[in-house]
Amino acid sequence: MSIEVKKLVKAFGEKKVIDDVSFKVNDGEILAIVGFSGSGKSTILKLISNLVEKDSGEIITSGGDIAFVFQYSALFDSLTVFDNIAFALHERNDLRKKYSEKQIREIVNEKLGLVGLKGIENLFPSELSGGMQKRVSFARAIVTEPKVILYDEPTAGLDPIASTLIEDYILRLRNETGATSIVVTHQMSTIQRTADKVIMLYDGKIVFTGTPQELCNTDNEYAKQFVTASIEGPMHIIEQ
Amino acid sequence: MALVRNILKQTVTYKLFKSILVNLIDFMEVMGNITTCTIEFFKSLFKGELDRKELIVQCERFGISSLPITLSIVGMTSVIIVSQVAQEMVKQGGGNFVGALVAVLIVRELGVIMSGFAIISMIGSSLASELATMRVTEQIDALKTLKVNPFGYLFAPRVVAGMLMMPLVVIISSLFGILAGALTSDLAAGLSYRVYFESIWIGIFAKDLFVCLAKAVCFGAVIALISCTFGYYASGGAKGVGIATTRAVVWSFVAIVIIDMLFAIAFFF
Repeated sequence: MSIEVKKLVKAFGEKKVIDDVSFKVNDGEILAIVGFSGSGKSTILKLISNLVEKDSGEIITSGGDIAFVFQYSALFDSLTVFDNIAFALHERNDLRKKYSEKQIREIVNEKLGLVGLKGIENLFPSELSGGMQKRVSFARAIVTEPKVILYDEPTAGLDPIASTLIEDYILRLRNETGATSIVVTHQMSTIQRTADKVIMLYDGKIVFTGTPQELCNTDNEYAKQFVTASIEGPMHIIEQ
Repeated sequence: MALVRNILKQTVTYKLFKSILVNLIDFMEVMGNITTCTIEFFKSLFKGELDRKELIVQCERFGISSLPITLSIVGMTSVIIVSQVAQEMVKQGGGNFVGALVAVLIVRELGVIMSGFAIISMIGSSLASELATMRVTEQIDALKTLKVNPFGYLFAPRVVAGMLMMPLVVIISSLFGILAGALTSDLAAGLSYRVYFESIWIGIFAKDLFVCLAKAVCFGAVIALISCTFGYYASGGAKGVGIATTRAVVWSFVAIVIIDMLFAIAFFF
């Protein structure tokens, strides 16, 4: 399923967080949205998933579920891993009667296998490491076979090896489910290892569009500053 | 001009009006939030989104876990009143009315309002902090992205549990309060149980029982709804959870006293 965003605008109070942003992600593609903190990256994901209402513009998707993987996992801490992953199948009106308990157990096991975490169904989120919580949140997100997966800083706060593992799962999920993905990140390894396309945001506007290779080799001043992590350049730390 | 404006801003009158305006805006915002949540709660009920499994969990929470504290509060209130009036009433020849007095006080007022206060401090505060924590840790956003209506999953079971269990809690705690009154009358004034219990029916009518139960249903709904609303709209991390919880408790206290007053005016004025 492709996603097309046209002239999107969102302001919080006086501050325009997203200012006339347009882009398209083709079916099965992985788009990385990069930029410094406070540039409006996560807000785009929240607008696409309807968690935040847009002020103007268009978001065109061709139906199907949109899954969201949160930065801090957002697992339901009073439920076990099994109940977290099976949550939508148990609670959603349209899915509640579709599957038997045996089928739900099979689906949960399959999704846990996909993220390499079989055998932890009865643990609570607080008993898992940060990386494991992220992977459980992947499994929860894909349980309804979504056509689009939105990742909000999936590798933030993880050690390099755990980050590599998460990046591999992003690719694996795309390859096995064919889902279109948008990854919000500011980690270069995540951009280079997962993305087909990159857009860079600054102050709510797109300042660079290209491939991960182009991001590293471009003359674009914004991209150069981002890649070299330089304090000098057109971008200044935005006061939150 | 700027100097005059600065001087005016330092005056007590300016600060008073500013504070009134800020509180008024805040009041309107809270009322708007409560109204929105009430409408969404009813919509989720009509759509059949009430989670029955969660309803049972919440009924246990409202009914069973709150019972020790409600029984203690209503029971001790009864002991306090009877210790002070029973001896005097017996001396003045009114021993035949001690049971009636206690029953009227408890059934009409103390049983339900004291249980309400206990439920607010025990259950209301925990509902508000639970939902507020879910809000600040993005668990409520996660519910939405999984296409599960938070009003059906979070609000409906809690509010319905409040409406179902509050009358039960009030009945049990009121009975306990009346029994505690009987025991205290015996110990403090030597009043026999027979005299005490026979006099109960002098003061209690079917209308009192009906009003008591209707109030309990309203209190249960209002406490759950207000607590969930403050939790749902919380923001700002741990501090936000604390603020939401405190405000939920304060608003619930004020709300049930107002409802109690409206019932008193409507039925006993």
